[in-house]
Amino acid sequence: MGVSSLSRDNSLVRLFKWIYAGFDRTIFMGLKFTIPTKFVSPLGFLGMLTFVVFIILGITGAFLMLWYEPILDRAWDSVEKINDTIPYGFHMRNIHYHASNAMVMLAILHMYYQFFSGRYKIRNEMLWVTGVLLGVLTILEAFTGYDIIFSERAELAISIAASLTNSIPILGPDMMNAFFGSGFHDFVLRFYAFHVFFLPIVLLGLMVVHFPRFLVFDVPMVMAVAGAIMLTGGVFPIDLGLKFDPNVPPGITVPEWYLTGLYAFLRSAFDKFTTGVAWPGLFIFTLLIMPFIDKYKKFSWKDRPIISALGITSIAQIIVTTYWGFYIDPDRTKSLLERLMIDPIFLYTVMVLLVPLSFGFTYLMIKIAKNAEANAKKQKPSEKNPIQLPAKWLYILFVALIGFQVYLNIAAYYAVLDGMKNYSLFLIGILMLVFAGMFHLYRYGRGLSKSNVEIVTTNKRKFIFPSIGGSKRKSLEDRSTSMDPSKIGPTEDNPLLSSTEKKDIPVPEIGTHKGGKSSPMYSKDTSPTDTRNADIDLPENSVSKTKINKQSQTSNLDQNVRSFPYDKLNDGQKRDDAFVETTRDGDKSTPVR
Amino acid sequence: MSQRQPPKVDGGKISRRDFLKLLAAAGTVMTFTPFVEWGKFLPNPRESNEERSKVVLPDGSQANVNTFKVNHAEAVVYPLSEDPVLNEEAFRTWQFIRLPPELGGEKNDATAFRMYSMVCLHLWCLWKYWPEDGRKRGECPCHGSMYDPLTGEAFAGPASLQAPPSNVLPSLDLEVDDEGNIWIKPPNWSPSGNGVVGYGRFLA
Repeated sequence: MGVSSLSRDNSLVRLFKWIYAGFDRTIFMGLKFTIPTKFVSPLGFLGMLTFVVFIILGITGAFLMLWYEPILDRAWDSVEKINDTIPYGFHMRNIHYHASNAMVMLAILHMYYQFFSGRYKIRNEMLWVTGVLLGVLTILEAFTGYDIIFSERAELAISIAASLTNSIPILGPDMMNAFFGSGFHDFVLRFYAFHVFFLPIVLLGLMVVHFPRFLVFDVPMVMAVAGAIMLTGGVFPIDLGLKFDPNVPPGITVPEWYLTGLYAFLRSAFDKFTTGVAWPGLFIFTLLIMPFIDKYKKFSWKDRPIISALGITSIAQIIVTTYWGFYIDPDRTKSLLERLMIDPIFLYTVMVLLVPLSFGFTYLMIKIAKNAEANAKKQKPSEKNPIQLPAKWLYILFVALIGFQVYLNIAAYYAVLDGMKNYSLFLIGILMLVFAGMFHLYRYGRGLSKSNVEIVTTNKRKFIFPSIGGSKRKSLEDRSTSMDPSKIGPTEDNPLLSSTEKKDIPVPEIGTHKGGKSSPMYSKDTSPTDTRNADIDLPENSVSKTKINKQSQTSNLDQNVRSFPYDKLNDGQKRDDAFVETTRDGDKSTPVR
Repeated sequence: MSQRQPPKVDGGKISRRDFLKLLAAAGTVMTFTPFVEWGKFLPNPRESNEERSKVVLPDGSQANVNTFKVNHAEAVVYPLSEDPVLNEEAFRTWQFIRLPPELGGEKNDATAFRMYSMVCLHLWCLWKYWPEDGRKRGECPCHGSMYDPLTGEAFAGPASLQAPPSNVLPSLDLEVDDEGNIWIKPPNWSPSGNGVVGYGRFLA
């Protein structure tokens, strides 16, 4: 990219552009990396969010490494020191802890979204398999992390993990020796090594394989996730637990939430290998082979009843066992063992019962969804009713959010000065959330002002709405004579619209206030004679006709178009599948993580 | 993918090229087999010296048949390390018991003594021996597992519900020399030998 003297860019922008051009020869150019300029459902890029949280974990973890001592008698004390005396150690530890939970949660959500949207099949098997392995390793990573605090709970977790490893036939004892060494001193040191090096390096290696070619980095959503992590850290600062002392009976503790499901099985006091190794192993194995046993040709969960039902079953079982693992009989008159014990017959009966229940539920859901779909088709002009946010209010909200953020900045500053650790964390969390909201609004407004477009083309619909810009009326008049709504008809179902129309930007649906009158939003189905629009105030000249403004200027071709090839989408795909890009050869290609 | 040809069926004959490939694959595998042994880097070899070692009581003296009280127990560190931190390790603490008279504790030989790992097989708390009348058993303070001092087998509590070998405590073999000093014989750290600390032992 040549730096022209006519360029309006300042030198800083030119520098960035030069650096960007330098990446042309690197692997990054092989990735399709998108920063969305409008809101897109975060469900489509949960994987990227997981990765971002992984990076947060890496950074905070690296800082924690400076102070943590993986030594038998000092591990817990060093964590206490980080938490209580080292400046910002509390923040680091809390962010690290809550980010670990967020990462597990996001990974699970990511998996289920891919599962139900059917994206794991057809050439995406490798992504799915590596993804499942990544998920398992993520949980192991989180598990080793909370073990090396070496609190009472950590010791219980280690002892259970060791006995489970030992229970594996033939290989078990050797694996236990290799992973745990002998004695607590080895455990702390080894789990530390696994936690900070072995597992992350394997995770990174698998991530390289797992990365699809299309990536989305949504700034507000990343900010929102980071903010939520800190907010949670502020509201629920994580405690240290008691230092492990083999001579002191530990209190009742339950493992982290992602392991309580397993814990419920362990508490049924059935054979350790079956409950602790075979069941979760079977679960993971089933997930691994899922894309190979899913033989449905279609992608939507509605069209894959058995697979969807399996997914629902797994979710139901996870929820039930997770809750059950947490539940401990509050009756203190009973012995500890009695309170902890779960009747295996009861547990397994419930597990089995959940299967037909889930299948029935799925059947019902599919039926309802299909009915709704059919109904929607029947009553064709199903007016989409978007949130109408007038431009004036947009600005007011924007200014208010900035003001709020300034206030929070000041509050956070004083909170830090006062040493109210979790309060400051809380405020930083809110700050980031507000920033996320602000960025989103900014993007929203920018999308509006940049595009004086009255027609929005996605694969299926056209939305016509006025722009904020002053050119709007003029363009409407220009077009009103040349375009007729009947002419939209043939093009709208054709994904390959005319070349100019293809460039139209999918801007957010919005109406603006114009002299106290609200302009309507036209859907593609709005016919001139539609009485539903008759009561809406319209400019005189536009009452009878749907106006289309095809802006063919290149100014219109902003990043939106280049980032989101909505126009290229397959007909069969839903709006939320907008990320699935159609490649040149027409094959369905890798979706965004 | 669909263009892929089905494998040729030619009466199970193997082509020269395939044979060479097979040899190359086998050679690659063979090249790396010596490194399988390197897997021994991972486990921590418990210091199992070939020589017997002393039973060192908390006061620093060696346990002696003639002075150690009947129906009495002490916590002993084995293997004893130079590092005080390692000596605090639960996995190195053993309960050294002289049995009560009714179980043959009055004999002046090794059969009157037992040495069990103090790590409870359930969740690794440290159990200890209670010599009071009516107890005379090992009890874990955490979840109430109880151990038979004669065999080290759990007879009550959660540890007793665990499948073998996780219901019998690891134990060390003892011997007494001419002066009555008690020694620990070199152990065999396997479930069928002296047992694995925190995991258990098969009763012979």
